[in-house]
Amino acid sequence: MDQSALATVGEVFARRARPACGLARDADAVARACHAMATRFHDGGRLIVFGDGEAATDAQHIAVEFVHPVIVGKRALPSFSLTGDVATITGVAAESGFDEVFAHQIRHLAVPQDMALGVSPHGECRNVLRALETAKAMGLLTLALTGGDGGAIARSPSVDHALVVRSGDPRVIKEVHVTTYHILWELVHVFFEQPGVLGPRVVA
Amino acid sequence: MSERPGDSMESLYPFLYSGATDLEAVLTSVRASTVEKANEIVALRRAVLERDGDRLAACAWAMAGAFSRGARLFAFGNGGSSTDAQDVAALFLHPGAGARPLPAFALTADVAVVTALANDIGFEVVFARQIAASGRPGDIAFGLSTSGNSRNLIAAFREADRRGMVTVGLAGYDGGQMAELGTIDHLFVVPSTSVHRIQEAQTTVYHALWELTQDALAGSTYAGTSRGW
Repeated sequence: MDQSALATVGEVFARRARPACGLARDADAVARACHAMATRFHDGGRLIVFGDGEAATDAQHIAVEFVHPVIVGKRALPSFSLTGDVATITGVAAESGFDEVFAHQIRHLAVPQDMALGVSPHGECRNVLRALETAKAMGLLTLALTGGDGGAIARSPSVDHALVVRSGDPRVIKEVHVTTYHILWELVHVFFEQPGVLGPRVVA
Repeated sequence: MSERPGDSMESLYPFLYSGATDLEAVLTSVRASTVEKANEIVALRRAVLERDGDRLAACAWAMAGAFSRGARLFAFGNGGSSTDAQDVAALFLHPGAGARPLPAFALTADVAVVTALANDIGFEVVFARQIAASGRPGDIAFGLSTSGNSRNLIAAFREADRRGMVTVGLAGYDGGQMAELGTIDHLFVVPSTSVHRIQEAQTTVYHALWELTQDALAGSTYAGTSRGW
């Protein structure tokens, strides 16, 4: 293998470092999102996750993370992805258009104490935004993982917690999202392990 | 909703109902944890680059060569790694504007096939049987595991090797049985014992392989033998 190819690998990896470090600067926003999620789980809420394209795989990864934790002894928490049911997705898309895909599922599967988490690397997926708006109107906690400048999703008043990766490369954004949702999962459990931090209902 | 999953929380977590803790103190410790994990993954990616940078370039070169000769890519994994397998397939097949779509399948995506094989024969064969049915010499088998010990991956890599496919494996820990096999052409072991950090570094590994494969195909060496994707 020649040295020019080697340099390319190094360059590809080097591009990751700054956005990954950027997550540390968002530690406060991550902590507050986790606290809100832990409170919702504690009150019986479920985590509903969705995204398009490669983010659809993140949605499924997040759901399996919560339902079947990789760390032995951690409790299974209720979560499901809206991207796994191809029959429903193609059915809704064919009848009502793709923008309606996740919103329809939220409308008919969610209850107010649930959480809606949308993943959109550029923050502009219209069906993800519409689902978050629908969720907010129903009373769900709404969260988004986005990138770039955050896009329309991060700017939306319907999104309670937006975590934005400052990168223009969708693959780099995805990698920081993976770390972010691993941390979200872990820290939700940290809150569970601390008495008295999950709101007035808990200590009443 | 007749039954809510949180109904039993009070009995499972009685401590949650007993007295207050300083929320700010917990938030502070949680913030520190995020910073620590961000630093961990940056260091782990650096370790992967130092250990396998040259082998990653060689693998991408081999994958570009295989695609230029008409290969299809078959990606597979379990659990979180199944979502990575689907991500790999989606990335190669539909990379977006400016990049070249390449034929790739996720062996985890067809629930009818997976459940039929698991039900009729056993979960160990869910990927190997699909490779036996569809894999051709020169195709690419791309398997992801954190432990390196998933039996259905080992069976799939054995089948892919028998069929003369190019085999690419991503593992963690010490590589487990995927390393012991000794037959995987391009094996990348992420040197960590954290499943989460392993998956995060593996995501970078397959993104790098994709980008380098695209670059190699765009170069003059393979452009002349492309089949026009």
